[in-house]
Order: sequence, then C-alpha cells, then structure tokens
Amino acid sequence: MPDLLRPVRVLRYSAGNAWADMWVIFSPLTWILGWVSRVLVQVVFFALIGLLLDSDDAVRYLFVGNAVMITAMEATMSVTTTTWERRQGTMPLLVAAPTRLWPVFVGRSVQWLPTGVITASVALFALGPAFGIEWTPAQAVVVLACLAVVAVATYCFALVLSAIVLTAMDLHNVISNVAQAITMLIAGVMVPVSFWPGWVEAIAQALPLTHGLAAIRAVTDARAVGPVAGEVAAGLVLTVGVGALWLLAAAVLLEYLAAAGRRTGSIEFAE
Amino acid sequence: MTALRTGFQFEMRVLRRSFGELIALVTAPLMTLVFLAVIREGGRDDLAPYAVLAPALIVLWGVALIVSGELIAQDRENESLEAMVATPASFAGVLTGRITAVTLVSLTGFAESWLAAFLVFNVAVPIPHPGLFILIVLITALAMAGTACVMSAVFVLARSARAFQNSLTYPFYVLGGVMVPISLLPGWLEPISRLVFLSWSSDLLRDALSPAPVPDLASRLAVILVLGVAAYVLGLALVRRTVDRLRRTGSLTYA
Amino acid sequence: MAEDAVEVRRLRRVFKGRRKSPDVTALDGVDLVIPAGEVHGLLGPNGAGKTTLCKILSTVLLPTSGHASVGGHDVVRETAAVRGIIGIVFGGERGLYTRLTARQNLEFWAAMYGLRGRTLRQRVDAMLGQIGLTERADDRVEGFSRGMKQRLHLARGLIGDPQVVLLDEPTTGMDPVAAREFRTLVGELRDDGRTVLLTTHDMAEAEAVCDRVTLIDNGRLLATERPAALSSWISTYSRVDARDVPAERVPQLIGELRDIPGVTAVRAIQPSGIRVETDAVDAAPQVIRHLLDSGINSVATSTPDLEEVYLHIIGERGLRVSR
Repeated sequence: MPDLLRPVRVLRYSAGNAWADMWVIFSPLTWILGWVSRVLVQVVFFALIGLLLDSDDAVRYLFVGNAVMITAMEATMSVTTTTWERRQGTMPLLVAAPTRLWPVFVGRSVQWLPTGVITASVALFALGPAFGIEWTPAQAVVVLACLAVVAVATYCFALVLSAIVLTAMDLHNVISNVAQAITMLIAGVMVPVSFWPGWVEAIAQALPLTHGLAAIRAVTDARAVGPVAGEVAAGLVLTVGVGALWLLAAAVLLEYLAAAGRRTGSIEFAE
Repeated sequence: MTALRTGFQFEMRVLRRSFGELIALVTAPLMTLVFLAVIREGGRDDLAPYAVLAPALIVLWGVALIVSGELIAQDRENESLEAMVATPASFAGVLTGRITAVTLVSLTGFAESWLAAFLVFNVAVPIPHPGLFILIVLITALAMAGTACVMSAVFVLARSARAFQNSLTYPFYVLGGVMVPISLLPGWLEPISRLVFLSWSSDLLRDALSPAPVPDLASRLAVILVLGVAAYVLGLALVRRTVDRLRRTGSLTYA
Repeated sequence: MAEDAVEVRRLRRVFKGRRKSPDVTALDGVDLVIPAGEVHGLLGPNGAGKTTLCKILSTVLLPTSGHASVGGHDVVRETAAVRGIIGIVFGGERGLYTRLTARQNLEFWAAMYGLRGRTLRQRVDAMLGQIGLTERADDRVEGFSRGMKQRLHLARGLIGDPQVVLLDEPTTGMDPVAAREFRTLVGELRDDGRTVLLTTHDMAEAEAVCDRVTLIDNGRLLATERPAALSSWISTYSRVDARDVPAERVPQLIGELRDIPGVTAVRAIQPSGIRVETDAVDAAPQVIRHLLDSGINSVATSTPDLEEVYLHIIGERGLRVSR
C-alpha cells in the first residue's frame, strides 16, 4: 500500500521553512507599516486614475482590480523565496532522498497565501467604502473565498516560474516582476480582458487571476450574491482548473529538472 | 572634480554588469501600456502625455530608491566601504559621481515609454517645446540625484530603514502627482505634496507637453532646484556624519 | 547483506566543458569494492574526484559510463532502491535550514525518508540524543557552532536508518576536539553494522577511523590498503635525520650521502642537522652506517605516516596537507 500521505507530510514540514522565512522578511511592525501600507497606497494610486477620467465607475473598477491584484502579486513573490531552497544547498540531499522533489517546493513559500489574502481583504473591506464599494456579509464571505482560490491558483502558476528560475537563479527578480506586470496588464485588472486583441485574450485565459477576478467583480457589481451565483461558481471552477494545470506542470518540470541535473551534474553540494 | 568623474565612470561600469538592479527599466514599457490602456478604455486618448510621463517618472524615482539608495549600504556589505573612505578622493565626490551615473541611466525610462506607446498603441506623443522639455527633465534629474543622496545615507545609517524601502514608492507616486495631478487630490494633501519635488516636475512636464506656453516656468524650475539642492545638502551632511561615525566608532549604523 | 555494500566498476564521469573550456574527466575508470560493514576511506586532494564519486553513489549524478551499485542495486536503474538505503553527510555550513530549529530540520528529513507519526518523533528524539543536541533541539540552527551543525548534518544523514553512509569531507572546518568526537561517532556507525565511505583529505583522520584507505587523484584510484599496511609498505620511503653535525662537515657529508643508492634527497636542516630521504628498502641502513662511520652519533629514523605516503605517491602538488 503506497504511502499516499507522504507528499502531504513533506509539504507540511517544508511549510515550516515558509513560516520561518516570513518572519525573517518581516517583523509585525514592518509588515504593517512597510508592506501593507505600501500595497494599500498602490491600490489607491491606480484607483485615482479614475479621477483623471472623471468617472466613478472607473475608480471602482480600478480599485477592485488592483486590490485583488495584490493577492496575485504576493503569490508571485513566492518565486524569490522558493528559490532560496537552492541557495541553502539542500538540492543534492533532496534529490538523494527517497521522496520526490515537488512537495518540498510546493510547501516552500506558502506563507504568501494567507498574507496575500489578508492584504487584499484589508484593501477591499477597510478601504473599499471610501471608494464607494460596500459589502453585505454574504458578499464579503464569497469574496474572501474567491481571494483564497486566487491565491492558491496563482501560487501554482508561480511554482512553474520558480522551477524556471531554479535554472537561472539571477533572473528571479526579473521573472517575478515581469510576470506581475503582464498579469496586471491583461488579466482584467486595469481594463477588461476584452480590450485586448484575441491572441492576448487567449493568453489571459491561462492566468488564474483572470477568472478569479471575474468572479469577484460579478459579486461586487451585483450587490447581492444570489443572482450571480452561477457566474461566480463558473469563475471559481475555471480558476481552480487553471491552477491545477499549472501545479501539474510545475511538478513535471521540477522532476524533469532534477533528472536533467543528474545528467549534467548541476546539482551541487555545499561549497 | 576627479572624484566625481571617477565615481561616474565606476558606476557606469558596474551598471553594465548588474542589469538585474535596473529591473525598473524592464517593467517601464509594461507600465506605459497599462496607463495607455486605461485611458483608452476610458475614451481619453488626449491623456496620452500623462500616460507616457508617469512610467518615466516612476522609473526615475524607483531606480534612485533601489540603486542609488543602496550604494553605500552595498559598499558596506561587500566590505569595500572602509577602503573607499581611506582613499584620497573625496567620498562624497565619488558618491555624487556614482549617483549621477545612475540617475542619467534611469532617464532612458523616458525613451522607453515613448517607444512603447508608439510601437504598441501607435501613439506618438508630440513634444511641442523640446528644448524646454529637456531642460525640465534635466533639472528634475538633478533634484532626483540630490534626493538619492539622502536615500543612500539614510539606508546605511538606519538599518531598519531598508525594511521600509519598499514603502517609499507608491506613496511618493501619489504625492508626486506622477499620473494624477495633485490638483485632483483631496486638498489636505497639497501642502505635503508640494514638498516633494516630483509634484512640481510632473506638473511642469505635463505643461511642457501641451502646445500652450508654460506658465511661471522660471519660478517653478527654481522650486525644483531648491528642493533638490536642499536634499543634496542634507544628504551630504548625513554622508559626512556616516563617514565620521565610521572613523570614530568603526561601525556605521545607529539602528 | 551478503553482497558488497558498494561495487564500482570502470566508472567514468566526464563533465562537458562550457563554451571554450575543455571537457573535464572527474572520474577515469574507477574500480572499487567495499564489503558490508567496512569503514572505507577515500583520500585525495581537492578536485581528485571524491565528491563526484559520492554524488554518483547517492544517485545525484549519473555516470558517463561504467557501473556502480549500492547494496546490490544499480544506481542508474534502481534509483529508488538506492535512495532508500543510503545516507549522505557532507561538511561545511550549507545544506541545513538555518531558520528552523534542529528538531524541525530533522522532522522534515524524517518525513522525506518516509517516517511518520510517533515513529517519526521518536526517531528524531533518539537522533538528537545520539548526537548530543537534545538541549539545543529547539534552538534555531543559525546560532549553532560549526561542530554542532556538523553533528546535525550527521543526524540528518542517519535519520533514514541507512545501511550505507557516505561522509563527504565531514570534518571540514572542525576544530580538533569536535573532529575527534566525530570520529567516535563514526566508530559507532561501524558498531551498528553500517557501511561507511568517508572522503577526506585529512590523513590523520583516515588513519584513525578507517579499515581501509583508497588513495585517489585526478579521477584515478592509486592504491587501496589498510592504513598500517600502507605505511609499512612505504617504509621504503623512510627518512634518516642526523643531528649535531659540525658545520664544516655538512657539505661533504651531503655529497657522500647523495651517492648512496636509494637516496632520493639530502638537505641540511637548521641548526646543525641533515635530513636524508630514501626510496629503497636497504637504503636507510646504509645511510645510518655511513653516518656512524663518519662519527655522527645522533641519528634517528622515522617511518613516514600516511601524509608522507600520500605526498610520495601523488607527488608534490604545492599543497599543504592538513594533519
């Protein structure tokens, strides 16, 4: 009887590193003052463009889009922390162990999931009213669930990026930032996805945020959950589906890289 | 003067190698597309000048924050700081040269955003007062360099300041009226914004991009210069204090 | 295990050179057999191929040609089986999760090796006790001394209860006290019935701990012997020291000694001595006889230790080898 829970167990212990990393990057003070405040201002910065356009609708559209974008942004920042695994020098040890690599990497940066959801929630629920966006409790719960789904699905996408960065460690910053910028551009954050030509729209469908954001917008615009339940569910299912595909791709890519590394000798011990 | 030139040349060489630091130059064109898309969707193609200026100014400030701000701190980290201080050349002079190099390189953000607008959206933003525009850009760059001097001193004097490095971006883009002029912002923000040279620069640059003659040019330029020079003077004082502290105590940081 | 713990035949590993660099042959046709339960030393300078061999045996690296098996399982075709029975430990600072505690590190690796639940926790506790880190188990690794980190590395390598343990330069950077404690631990591994492959460039360590030692250089194995056998085998390379030689007689004596067959080198030693190196069995007695006949009474011989053996066989490389 194969030990099906082993990947889960490994994931859980790998997440210990995620938690430890979090408090190396941030202290509670710097997280609130240095990070949360900055992302809130980021949302405001983009929402204010609506003032320039003299359109309240634009303000709200930009506000919601950019607030949800934060969740995707933080999930994408996992690319940098996931690749810290390689800097630790543990790669040969991981390869030589009888368990596969992918659960280790999946668990490695999960701290960005709850933080991304929290930050976006603060933006939406605490700042939202100032921008004319209000929530019933039912709406808030649904939005929260959507944010969690967006976080996980985008994280899976980021895992593929991490696997790529493992082969070119110095590019972690570039890849992470470019991925965020492209997401911001085409996933319906700033302008509807339909703004773009067909081929760009097609690419946008591959981004988990596109569908999750659509679901959240459906809830926000409708002012009540009931009528749009179907639309929301569809958006979430798509988000989960796309995320699952990215996760599969990440696992396959990681194992492939490990095998290739064995051939070329690129898996280093310490020093 | 040699210190300035030495610093300048050195930093140009360093920048050629450490491309990763200039990440802002990679994301700049994408930001241009973002702003252009938003105004086009909003049916306001006339705001194209705003849309190309904003990313250029964001790059200017962002690069100053990340690259210039880190200059002294990085020297300390790779342990070349003491060696630099020990040279006969003026440390402040070398630093100024290096910051100048970084600032000049970051000006390519302007070219990038104009080019991105043209290549992707087929939007060519005209510059009715080219000489004036360039002058304003240069004076803005000067003010940026002065401000970068303060950044680099602060980030080495107060180690904890680096944790807040990230949060010195968007707040200043808002206060600096980088995309949305501060005249559109709530009134209570105006006094604070006026202390940030970016707010004067962005207004002035936007005016320079409109065909009408630019009002109060001289006085506004003067304000930018004053703010920039004040920052530079403060920065130099802090740098001197940094170096003194290093010589006296053997360490740099207060916090 | 009835079969040998490690069997290596004509093992080659070539690394492709990048751009204009030539290919590097890290291992050039290595044959090695390690019976179960032996502590085997692999001795060689940096770049000799020791780490490459460890990587191949631990399935982290594929060989270019040749064959290697651990516990009867081929490292290329039965990778999972090999991974289940080996443990690797290497020296240095990296490879530990510094922001986690010692316990958390071991728990993670225990999970990687398939342990769970109470067994996992018990094994972790036992390991912590065995390496003497129980009191610091819940402290973060980043605060550990070099020696403590090394012990944790060892625990990590043993957490899966491996039959074959690969120790790759495990005492790098350790102070002598810590290194000696480590040797005791290696002895315990042998008592447990495990097979150990220990790579090192520290001769004293190899001599103290290993049942047999293989010398390796430039990807080739040079010799495999018991440490004592190696020393005595190379008693031909003995040394004769003469002391209290009158200064005016030194040059003439040096010339005479050089003429004795089997003498490889003669030189003056401060303050008033002469050192003679030989590479033939009967050369040393002849040198001694000559010195005594010349009226020099303060004469001493020494059998070289593994360090000198090593230097003689591998040749002077301009390296200072640690004792």
